[in-house]
Amino acid sequence: MSEPVAELTSGGGAALPLGVYSRPKGGGGWRDWVTTVDHKKIGILYGGAALFFFGIGGFEALLIRLQLATPNGTVVGADLYNQLYTMHGVTMVFLVIMPLAAAFANYLLPLQIGARDVAFPRLNAMSFWLFLAGGLFLNFSWLVGDAPDGGWFAYAPNTGVTFSPGHGMDFYAIGLQIAGIASLVSAMNLIVTVLNMRAPGMTLFKMPVFTWMILVVQFLLLFAIPVITVALFLLLFDRNFGANFFNPEMGADPLLWQHLFWIFGHPEVYVLILPSFGIVSEVIPTFSRKPLFGYEFMVFSGIAIGFMGWGVWAHHMFVSGIGPISIGAFTLSTMFIAVPTGVKILNWLATMWGGKIRLTASMLFATGVVSMFTIGGLSGVTHAVSPADTQQTDTYYIVAHFHYVIFGGALLGFFSGFYFWWPKVFGHRLGETLGKWNFWLMIVGFNMTFGPMHILGLNGMSRRIDTYSPGFGFEFWNLFATVGAFVIAFGVLCFAMNVILSARRARGLPPEPPDPWDARSLEWFTPNPTPVHNFDEIVEVSSLDEFWHRKWTTDENGRVVRRATAAEVCQTGDADDVHLPSPSYWPVVVAAGLPLVGFGLLYNLWICVPGTILVLIGVYAWVFEPPDDPDGPFGGGHGDEGHGDEGHGETEESASDESAPQEEAASVE
Amino acid sequence: MGRVVRFFRRAGVPAALLGAFLALAGCASDAELDTLNPQGPYARTIDNLSDPVFMVAGVVFLVVFGGTGFLWWRFHDDYSDEEYPEQIHGNFRLEILWTIVPTVILVVISIFTILTLVDISSNEDNAMALSVDGEPTMWEPEVVVVGQQWWWEYRYYFGGLEGVDLSDQRNLPPADIVTANQMVIPAGQEIELKITSRDVIHSHWIPALNGKRDAVPGRITFWKVNADEPGVYFGQCTEFCGLSHSRMRMQTVALSTADFQAWVDQQLQPAVEPTDAAAVAGRAIFEAQCARCHVINGVNGPHDETPSTGADLVSNAAPNLTHLMSRTTFAGGIFNLYEPNGNLNRPQLEAWLRNAPAEKPAYAEGRRGMPALGLSEIEIDNVVAYLQTLGTSPSIGIIAATEVE
Repeated sequence: MSEPVAELTSGGGAALPLGVYSRPKGGGGWRDWVTTVDHKKIGILYGGAALFFFGIGGFEALLIRLQLATPNGTVVGADLYNQLYTMHGVTMVFLVIMPLAAAFANYLLPLQIGARDVAFPRLNAMSFWLFLAGGLFLNFSWLVGDAPDGGWFAYAPNTGVTFSPGHGMDFYAIGLQIAGIASLVSAMNLIVTVLNMRAPGMTLFKMPVFTWMILVVQFLLLFAIPVITVALFLLLFDRNFGANFFNPEMGADPLLWQHLFWIFGHPEVYVLILPSFGIVSEVIPTFSRKPLFGYEFMVFSGIAIGFMGWGVWAHHMFVSGIGPISIGAFTLSTMFIAVPTGVKILNWLATMWGGKIRLTASMLFATGVVSMFTIGGLSGVTHAVSPADTQQTDTYYIVAHFHYVIFGGALLGFFSGFYFWWPKVFGHRLGETLGKWNFWLMIVGFNMTFGPMHILGLNGMSRRIDTYSPGFGFEFWNLFATVGAFVIAFGVLCFAMNVILSARRARGLPPEPPDPWDARSLEWFTPNPTPVHNFDEIVEVSSLDEFWHRKWTTDENGRVVRRATAAEVCQTGDADDVHLPSPSYWPVVVAAGLPLVGFGLLYNLWICVPGTILVLIGVYAWVFEPPDDPDGPFGGGHGDEGHGDEGHGETEESASDESAPQEEAASVE
Repeated sequence: MGRVVRFFRRAGVPAALLGAFLALAGCASDAELDTLNPQGPYARTIDNLSDPVFMVAGVVFLVVFGGTGFLWWRFHDDYSDEEYPEQIHGNFRLEILWTIVPTVILVVISIFTILTLVDISSNEDNAMALSVDGEPTMWEPEVVVVGQQWWWEYRYYFGGLEGVDLSDQRNLPPADIVTANQMVIPAGQEIELKITSRDVIHSHWIPALNGKRDAVPGRITFWKVNADEPGVYFGQCTEFCGLSHSRMRMQTVALSTADFQAWVDQQLQPAVEPTDAAAVAGRAIFEAQCARCHVINGVNGPHDETPSTGADLVSNAAPNLTHLMSRTTFAGGIFNLYEPNGNLNRPQLEAWLRNAPAEKPAYAEGRRGMPALGLSEIEIDNVVAYLQTLGTSPSIGIIAATEVE
């Protein structure tokens, strides 16, 4: 059954004029995915969508590099180039790195704290569908030939109607607005999850560093997204309703946009990088066979970065004429945010020191983050030196810097995470040989592409130029960088092949046995792939790295000796009496309405009407759908057919989160 | 002794690698935009600050990178046994140490940064004696720089900027000299720049002379340049400003004091009446077509009596052409006005007059950039003949030094 049934119920009918809506019963295939509220499925959806957009953003990058391979390039014109570089930036930041972080956070965070789902499963589903709606809405602009062309930073007044008369910047403002709701909702969801749903015994300082970093990121999002929301609304009103927030002709100061954008934009940088720091902090201890060095310092330096990240935004504006006192103040704050970052890097190295390092593909990527991010961090210090920044800013030196941070730091970290958690998610490992090809091609190509950009920038090549003249000494390194970009592309191709080949190889074989890496945290208590209910029983936590401590202990000489095998410690995943939140149709309906409202703002306000109706129907039905399938006591589940009637027990607290009052309403039937 | 040698050899490796990096960065012989080749005191002050920071950053990088490599090599698992290594959870003293060491390094860098910031933000009085229209004048060298899509205007007010109202950038008070894309300055003088914009945000950057400063509509930003020696210094708009951002370039021509005085004398002259028949016809076309946007002093400007009626452009301005021939580039500094032998670059100028948007992307239909005027070939010839009467060409040395592309 896939259609919602609006039926008047005998008992609750008077209170619910449009009836009670049944919950989906699965039905297999795509229906399960569209209606799912399972954090693991949502995590996989986030990952898949992010990799899809990664393909688009990467293709845009290759076109950019082809255009710049030679002076006076003619691969694309100036207009198309400006759209390409804008969409490359927007896509990679908002539609690749952020959702990849969301993919890992969604899948792993409940598992790492020993929970069965996030606090608000339906909101979680809505977050994903809104992100996808925003991303597709943004990219729809390509189909109408009118992609945003004002840069991801969208400086006013170049993004006003006078200077950007097409619909491109409207797609930007509305698309990011929709995706922004996703981030904001998901931030609240994950904060509540971490604060309220940790397994018994798991105090905050027994949480894995990945969970900690995700928590910090959610607080950054919680406070940063509202700022960009305001800025995007002002832009939208300027462009569509004749407001003059950023119009200097009417006396507005265009620096207002820059302040709003960077008050969001700089914390955003840490939103992009901290999840990867969390992944690296899980991978390096596992493959060094040592606990993370200085756990508390790692956590506190992450928190410190989160706080200090709010006080550095104007370093993006050192040349915009903000005055020497402001420049001095932001020079100092920017300088010292390097300290907690440095602490992290040294702690990773100290974790490896004296270890027994296993250079798996995952570990290679993690150490890649340590060294490549260091380059990005150090070049960051060179622009914190504000007088030097007046030479460097808006040149390729900056392009090099932030690619070392976002590619070398964030993206390589996510690849490390792919190789590490693939067996947990899909039940088989990715191939190590192709994985190493993937790593070496990517790291070599990455350094070939972005390393020379330091030199190009110092040689005076401006950013965001669609072409350059011969004679400035830019020719050689640009060609070199273009070759490097294709080496990266081959690296990514290796990853894609690895995904396909490893799945094919694993077909028909039993899933990966538990604990393939001799890992440390709670998610490895579950078999591979994670069963739908996560834990057969919730783990009682007594120490950091609980899983490792169940397997190993130290004898009187301080030597590590085995206490139990992984197979003994791991759960079997065959519990059949676990109550789980039922799937729902309505998150995807709500999310489908908003892009229609967006199209209405662009083309004809009447299109807003069906969009709004869709959102209202979605919200109404969401509120009045029963907690479970009315046909069964706890029905529906996640295709768990064998759930028993007595399936409440200890799991109730983690699963019956959002619908406790309605549970009673349903039982009126 | 051997240990000392080893130490120096080890220390030599980072230094050599860094040297190689800096050499690579500075290797291009004709890199006119190179930031590591300062030609004036401000750029040199910045370079003197950033070079040691690059060194420190390079050493730290090599420590981390080398450390990672060393750890790979020294501590990789040989899988000979399943033994766990010693389990170390941390070391408080070490943590404090490596919190303090970076802090100290950064404090040192910060001190020098702030000192440099104060240094380059301070002003000195340095009026120079100049004769303006035969009147001896003490000129506090300052130039009003106006960015617009996609070229630069430079305005000189020899009476000083006291009382000059720059708040309405699209109707600036008439200046003594208005030129485009080539800022002419006296060498060895500190020139104060008042930078603004008539449309979107641009950024003015002459790397050899100083860092960059944004041109923000509605705001005046302050910046300075100073060239050690007479010479030509290249620049490029560095804040994304729309379609032809990459084709918004400029040069700074620093002249000796005497040459600068000569240039001022020349620029203060209004346009001469043409005598040649083609040029006379060209002037008529100019008045009918071009004068909607362009100004020629003595023909349709300067607007010292009545305020400008406004050019038919969003920015309300197109380059002042009174002394076009004294400049060596046109169209936002991307085309040579002269061939290397000093003759007019006629094919390029004709192509520009024939169909400007084909030569340089612009939104002419959105009143930004020069439109295609639909002139006949004869009309183009006449306009070129007229334009050639506007100003005197510079020396062959300047033509060679300013050549673009």
